[in-house]
Amino acid sequence: MRRPLFAACWKVVELRSSIDPLTGEVTPDHLSLGVSRSDEAALEWALRSAARWGGGVRLVTAGSAKTEAALRQGAAVGATELLRVDLPIDWPSDWIARAVAPHLADADLVWCGDMSTDRGSGAFPAYLAAELGISQALGLIGVELNGPDGPAGSDGPDKGLGFEALRRLDGGRRERLSIGARAVLSCEGATTRLRRASLDGVLVARDAPIAVRVGSRGTTVAPAVASIAPFRPRARVVEPPAGPTARERIRSLTGADAAGRTARAITLNPREAAVAILEALGSWGELPAGLSGERAGDLP
Amino acid sequence: MIAVVPVRAGELPVGAAEAVAEAGGNVVLAGDGTDAAAEALTSEAPLLVRQVVCAELGSYAPAAWARRLSRRLDAEDVVILPAVPDGRDLAPRIAASLGRPLLAGAQEIRPAGAVVLRWGGLQLVELTVEGPFVATLLPGSRSVAAAPSGLVPISLAPADETETSDDGAACADAMSLEVLAPDPAAVDLAEAAKIIAGGAGLGSHDEFATLARVAEAIGASVGATRVVTDGGILGHARQIGTTGATVRPRLYVALGISGAAQHVGGIGEPLHVVSVNLDASCPMMAMADLAVVSDAAATLEALADLLGLRDGALVGEHASAEGDDD
Amino acid sequence: MTERFDVVVVGAGPAGSMAALTLARAGRSVCLLERGPFPGSKNLYGGVIYGRVLDEILPRWIDEAPIERWVTRRVTMVLTETQSLAVDFRSSAWGAKPYNGATALRPEFDSWLASEAEKAGAVLVCSTTATGLLLDERGRTTGVRTDRPGGDIEAGVVIACDGVNAFLAKQAGLTSTEDPSHYTLGVKEVLALAPDEIERRFGLEPGEGADFEVIGGTGGIAGGGFLYTNRETVSVGLVLSIEGLSRSETRPEQLLAEFKSHPAIRPLVAGGDVVEYGAHLIPEAGLAMMPRLAGDGILVAGDAAGMCLAAGIWLEGVNFAMASGAAAGEAAAEALERGDTSAGGLRGYRKRLEANFVLADHRRLKRAPHLVLSDRMQHQYPQLVCNLVEEIFTVRNPSPKQGIVAQARQERRKAGVRLRDLARDGWSAWRTFR
Ligand SMILES: Cc1cc2nc3c(=O)[nH]c(=O)nc-3n(C[C@H](O)[C@H](O)[C@H](O)COP(=O)(O)OP(=O)(O)OC[C@H]3O[C@@H](n4cnc5c(N)ncnc54)[C@H](O)[C@@H]3O)c2cc1C
Ligand SMILES: Cc1cc2nc3c(=O)[nH]c(=O)nc-3n(C[C@H](O)[C@H](O)[C@H](O)COP(=O)(O)OP(=O)(O)OC[C@H]3O[C@@H](n4cnc5c(N)ncnc54)[C@H](O)[C@@H]3O)c2cc1C
Ligand SMILES: Nc1ncnc2c1ncn2[C@@H]1O[C@H](COP(=O)(O)O)[C@@H](O)[C@H]1O
Repeated sequence: MRRPLFAACWKVVELRSSIDPLTGEVTPDHLSLGVSRSDEAALEWALRSAARWGGGVRLVTAGSAKTEAALRQGAAVGATELLRVDLPIDWPSDWIARAVAPHLADADLVWCGDMSTDRGSGAFPAYLAAELGISQALGLIGVELNGPDGPAGSDGPDKGLGFEALRRLDGGRRERLSIGARAVLSCEGATTRLRRASLDGVLVARDAPIAVRVGSRGTTVAPAVASIAPFRPRARVVEPPAGPTARERIRSLTGADAAGRTARAITLNPREAAVAILEALGSWGELPAGLSGERAGDLP
Repeated sequence: MIAVVPVRAGELPVGAAEAVAEAGGNVVLAGDGTDAAAEALTSEAPLLVRQVVCAELGSYAPAAWARRLSRRLDAEDVVILPAVPDGRDLAPRIAASLGRPLLAGAQEIRPAGAVVLRWGGLQLVELTVEGPFVATLLPGSRSVAAAPSGLVPISLAPADETETSDDGAACADAMSLEVLAPDPAAVDLAEAAKIIAGGAGLGSHDEFATLARVAEAIGASVGATRVVTDGGILGHARQIGTTGATVRPRLYVALGISGAAQHVGGIGEPLHVVSVNLDASCPMMAMADLAVVSDAAATLEALADLLGLRDGALVGEHASAEGDDD
Repeated sequence: MTERFDVVVVGAGPAGSMAALTLARAGRSVCLLERGPFPGSKNLYGGVIYGRVLDEILPRWIDEAPIERWVTRRVTMVLTETQSLAVDFRSSAWGAKPYNGATALRPEFDSWLASEAEKAGAVLVCSTTATGLLLDERGRTTGVRTDRPGGDIEAGVVIACDGVNAFLAKQAGLTSTEDPSHYTLGVKEVLALAPDEIERRFGLEPGEGADFEVIGGTGGIAGGGFLYTNRETVSVGLVLSIEGLSRSETRPEQLLAEFKSHPAIRPLVAGGDVVEYGAHLIPEAGLAMMPRLAGDGILVAGDAAGMCLAAGIWLEGVNFAMASGAAAGEAAAEALERGDTSAGGLRGYRKRLEANFVLADHRRLKRAPHLVLSDRMQHQYPQLVCNLVEEIFTVRNPSPKQGIVAQARQERRKAGVRLRDLARDGWSAWRTFR
């Protein structure tokens, strides 16, 4: 029987970037090049899968050569193969998935993070599953690898390669899934923490080999960037104003009667800030009986 | 344009009506219990809906659904799904089977492109596409109530075999065992009238422990941003936002929260908002009645102090703290 | 498994990276440990560095180091609540090679310096904290323990460059004092402003920078303030006596907010968004707090050895750290060569520091910290000189002008400064700074 192969996909990006509040322009902090908590969790699940069922762990990233230092950190914790697909990281997710898929054709379970720091669409894992023609279970918030074996997938090497997981749905609901190989999984960062590399691991990983493959462009139309801007909420269409007279309608439309939003922020030291907050809550009637905002102001 | 709304056991996901409104009132309801969902949709937003197609596809299976919907959707230039877990899951599969680009996480969708959010919602990128595409719309992006009244009477097309194509090939999908109601540990959050929430700017475990005590003292529930729950500081059930709990409090106190769209999309329209942040110009400050520029952790400490929850000299503590800023 | 290196350097700040660089160049295997995710990640943003020590070791530093601006304007300012008096010095010579001071962001600068050490062959290991020394039965240092699994590292010499807390030097028994009066608290904000706006406000040409050192303005607490221009940010901060702080029960952030709103400071910083805030201890006492610099198998350099020169109008730590780190590296290489890494074998370190500016400057300025933080220097003199200058420049026609000497006498009395103290302080200032 073939040894199972597990994989993790890491997107190596500048984790800290400043976004200009006036222009929306991004200044990436090159010192923060690394992977998100959820990508770290993905590798941990791949390592645990290998511990549970045996087999190797291939860590894959698509991007430029500058991602390699981060990739080596994966070898320090136990990834057995490192692979980089050379391509521009700002390609559309479907192009990237298409370029990566051939290198994961032999993987039984592919673990991804649930969404990347910059793009944040969570689309790559689904595209990857589509490319590979295998099932997907995305946005996992709980994984039970050591539970009873779930049903094995149709072409898994081993019927035992199945498990249960909890997936996040909207509105606070969750879904319990039974997953079998082969599949693409994506997990949230809180599901687990990546183990800490041993000192030896770190030192050895400095020279870990990285296989490099060239990725070619996809076939779909790539969207073009027409403009960038800082976040602004979209203009809201409001209900036609109610009220018997024009004056009342205008008042309700302009919110003259509603509590006003502040025009500008005030700078306070922490104690003053705390006092101001308690006073405000008190004036809005939001402090429980026995606590009063005014009293807060009298305190030293 | 057409919306595709995944339906589970007759229930519409968050953001369904918005997606339908964005698509001009045309929708395919896909899943199980689509009739009930159609009824819910047309009573929630009667003026909005122009045409509903019910595609009864059984329980959620993104690969199989995408394939079965593709013939019906091929005729539409723009296909819109709500950017909730099921929609985000299904959209790439639909895009792949139609061979089209996906514009994911949009704030606004137009006939020739979309405005999508990047970098945790702090940046807007306007994308244009030549030809047809698929897009997902973030819940909370637009209002639905006041959409122009339906120009065409609502028509409920029956679930029709010809709407879907199924070439019989097996599609691999994970098996859904059950859907669980919202985590009981966070039920207080969903119904809370007062919420005090912390973000990445508040700190870590210690600060959130203090937050819990302050919240208790003022009778509020504790919430957090995704950065906090991702960091494992609080359980995911405490995450507020479009992919976490959606809440409708009267009072919202935000400590060290930037106010990303996905977070704010889940807080409803509180009567009063307080924001404490070092960055005076972040979106959370812009929507606050009381916007205070101050260190969030120190302000929380001072609040705990004023509420009699702790004692001890603040300065002494600061000075004796380790010399390094960690 | 235990790793073995010739030398393990703890802390990839300026001291540690220079030590590692020197050793790697001497052909020694050296491991450079840093607890942050990258060098400089834990170090406060922005400050002024002086690169003369780099000229010899990294001659291309002027072109390669991540410099924000070259300092061409240096202002020393005295503040009272409502007044300010400044000595404003400019030198266009400082704006050209070989330059004098430069502003640099520490995450960038420290990363650059550590990468130079790596290029020379040092093994940099980040996100790894040295949790203690490995000692043999005779108390000699034989390596460090780290917080990684299997994280013991044996080494012929440990060079402790772990910064102001000097945790390893304490464990080695080289220092014992923890006198709070030996430390000040530095608090700092980094404010974002457009480069051309910074140049306009500070009267600079593109690429040039300003360095303001301020006496007073600390709300009555002993200390001082500073203001440095980076490329698109301004660093503004205070250095505060810890004893004064705890006595006054004010928070450092509040003092900084007040400093920023002083009429002499506000126009320079107004409207800048805070992009970073941090606080860090500064070893202030110079010679008075210096530990023994060498033990068996261990050397201490940089802030860990109290090498930072913090004396009022000077706040220089980076150059002292780099010079002491390089000296430690050379001495360790020499000791390894001779096969004697005992305290005696490592004596070359102290000799090198005696021979260069590090200990010479500390000797010369040994009274400075005490003097600068004294009550008269902090409160009475600033008030006195500001009032005096205000009197001189206030026009009171038709009353005739008074003589300056008479006015000075009057102001001295008003400020409650005794002539005897003034003379004594003047004398000790002369002896200190001459
Ligand atoms: C598809 C998708 C779905 C998402 N769903 C959700 C969701 O449901 N809920 C959610 O919350 N997020 C969600 N996110 C993430 C969201 O985009 C943001 O990344 C997140 O909300 C930011 O959290 P934050 O405000 O805590 O952190 P940041 O954006 O990092 O903001 C931290 C804030 O703290 C301030 N600050 C820093 N230090 C201090 C200090 N000492 N004192 C005071 N203030 C300080 C900073 O100025 C900043 O404003 C989603 C993202 C995507 C892509
Ligand atoms: C507010 C402020 C402003 C200043 N301004 C200036 C200025 O303008 N010009 C100037 O020259 N100096 C200035 N200084 C002083 C200067 O920062 C220090 O003197 C200098 O950084 C000392 O360098 P170092 O290498 O000894 O220590 P550090 O720079 O403190 O480096 C120590 C390193 O060791 C690491 N470390 C600590 N413990 C461990 C451990 N156990 N294991 C592994 N790694 C560890 C730390 O993470 C850090 O990277 C200022 C200081 C402050 C606080
Ligand atoms: N360029 C890439 N290389 C490797 N994995 C990626 C890449 N882009 C995305 N991924 C994976 O897909 C997840 C979701 O990313 P995204 O679809 O961009 O939100 C990430 O957390 C990664 O696990």
